[in-house]
Amino acid sequence: MRCPPNAGNPNRAATRLAAVVLGSVWLQAACQPPPRTPEQAIIARGRQIFFAETFAGNGRTCGTCHREERNFTIDSAFIATLPKGDPLFVAELQPALKRNFENPRLMREHGLILENLDGFDDLANRFTQRGVPHVLALRTSIASPQGPRTGWSGDGAPADGSLRAFAVGAVIQHFTKTLDRVAGVDFRLPTDAELDALEAFQLSLGRQADLQLPLPLTGTVARRGQEIFLDNALGKCNICHRNAGANATLGPQDAGNASFNTGVEDLPDQPADLTGERMPPDDGFGTPGDGRFNTPPLVEAADTGPFFHNNAVDTIEGAVAFYDGQAFNNSPSGRFLASTDPNAVGIRLDATQLVAVAAFLRVINALENVRLSIDLLTRSAGMGFAEREEALRLLRFAVHETNDSIRVLAGGGLHPEAVAELTQAKSLTERAATSLFGRRRLTREAIRAQERARSRMIGAKP
Amino acid sequence: MRMLLRAAVLLIVSAAAPGPVHPQKATEQFIPLGQSPGASGKLTWIGEITTTDARARTLTIAEGDTPRTVKITEKTRIFVDRSKLKQTNLTGTFADLQKGRRVEVKYGDPVLKQETDWVKVEITQP
Repeated sequence: MRCPPNAGNPNRAATRLAAVVLGSVWLQAACQPPPRTPEQAIIARGRQIFFAETFAGNGRTCGTCHREERNFTIDSAFIATLPKGDPLFVAELQPALKRNFENPRLMREHGLILENLDGFDDLANRFTQRGVPHVLALRTSIASPQGPRTGWSGDGAPADGSLRAFAVGAVIQHFTKTLDRVAGVDFRLPTDAELDALEAFQLSLGRQADLQLPLPLTGTVARRGQEIFLDNALGKCNICHRNAGANATLGPQDAGNASFNTGVEDLPDQPADLTGERMPPDDGFGTPGDGRFNTPPLVEAADTGPFFHNNAVDTIEGAVAFYDGQAFNNSPSGRFLASTDPNAVGIRLDATQLVAVAAFLRVINALENVRLSIDLLTRSAGMGFAEREEALRLLRFAVHETNDSIRVLAGGGLHPEAVAELTQAKSLTERAATSLFGRRRLTREAIRAQERARSRMIGAKP
Repeated sequence: MRMLLRAAVLLIVSAAAPGPVHPQKATEQFIPLGQSPGASGKLTWIGEITTTDARARTLTIAEGDTPRTVKITEKTRIFVDRSKLKQTNLTGTFADLQKGRRVEVKYGDPVLKQETDWVKVEITQP
């Protein structure tokens, strides 16, 4: 190759070098991330604490159990993919936590976490084993006339009982180095600023408002499932899960996020019980408990199983079928529904109806995943080179969400054409995440594929 | 039928009736005196025990210049805060509430301030 004339001229080379440097400076300035709002800043700080802060404890963080790539929860299938040294397994790794801190078998096989909700005086005998609730849509799902309801039984937070204070109890229960649980020795307590940030981050996750049912669903089975769901004489689901959320309407009263004794503890042959491991009864809200548990939102249900506080049921179809069974219909809540029914029936559905309700729950879950994926992709596409790292994180998160959409729909044999669009969206997103120059273009194509998938599941509102 | 109706009313009342929030008391045991977020100083009184009455199960504390007399009921949890000694906190009894000791009293109802949810008593000497 021939050099251009004067290529060897030192003055010209210096000029070019200066131009390159100035151009880089300009480019860097042009690509600087826009200044964050105070709200965005505190959410970002909360995210950092949630996933990285161990509070000088045993190595766990909030994200140890509330995994972003698993919808802020955890289950046995995911646990099986973790390395042996993961801090989730501190009871297997740290001698001081070997006894009465976790039951490794129940954790690994059933995703259950040990809690001492009725006190720490008798660690060998007074404990419960609970699943990890996701922390999505908390903005819509913890307010009640009695105040915030956190955790499975609504009384998960110490101090003032708020979501803000929840982290303090979690650190004491799950982050400690020893069972002495001495603040300043076995862990440090979160500061006020950290609690503010953690609360802001958690409230930012997932839906910020409830759906407005009915939705113009295109699938015939899911649409029938929605009808049954909303029928207060048939499915009766909407009484306690208004708009498939976590809030109840009892008679004329908006009960907010209510707690009920639905008889889950009375289910026969619960998987964890079948192991023969010690599973003391869980008495729910209060000490001693009154058997009530909190109502979780249903939009997020289909991809956050297993279900109920004790992970008793693995599939969404099984979870719906629970309400057709004896454990529910003999429970205080089942009897309540029967008391309002002209035929004294609690909930009685046939198999096709149960599957239809589950199909409805699968489709609204997929729609929420699509909504979130589009939001993530749109934010990523709007980010310049200087924010590439964050843009890629959003893309990876979108891939997880899209995987969930595919899994949830395919698992119910629903909307194969939407599954195909989502599969394409996932492929485009993965390519975007590895492309040096085509990231934004591929991301925009992925958004369009997500939108096509959505249009296969839901029509325009009449 | 009457029983069913009663069950229905009870369920609605227990699920939806307004009332004070019910924070978890178990992990509260390990939060040092005065450090309960959102509660300490807002839903609690902190002060030194001036008198106790074992028969009436009451104690009076001096919160600044204000004397506060509180009733210890069966529902009241007593926590012995030994965190300054770097020792584990314990559940305690009325006998731990001794004159001169610093305590934090959490009242259940923020308006009536009558029921006592828990009392933390600080131990600073081994």
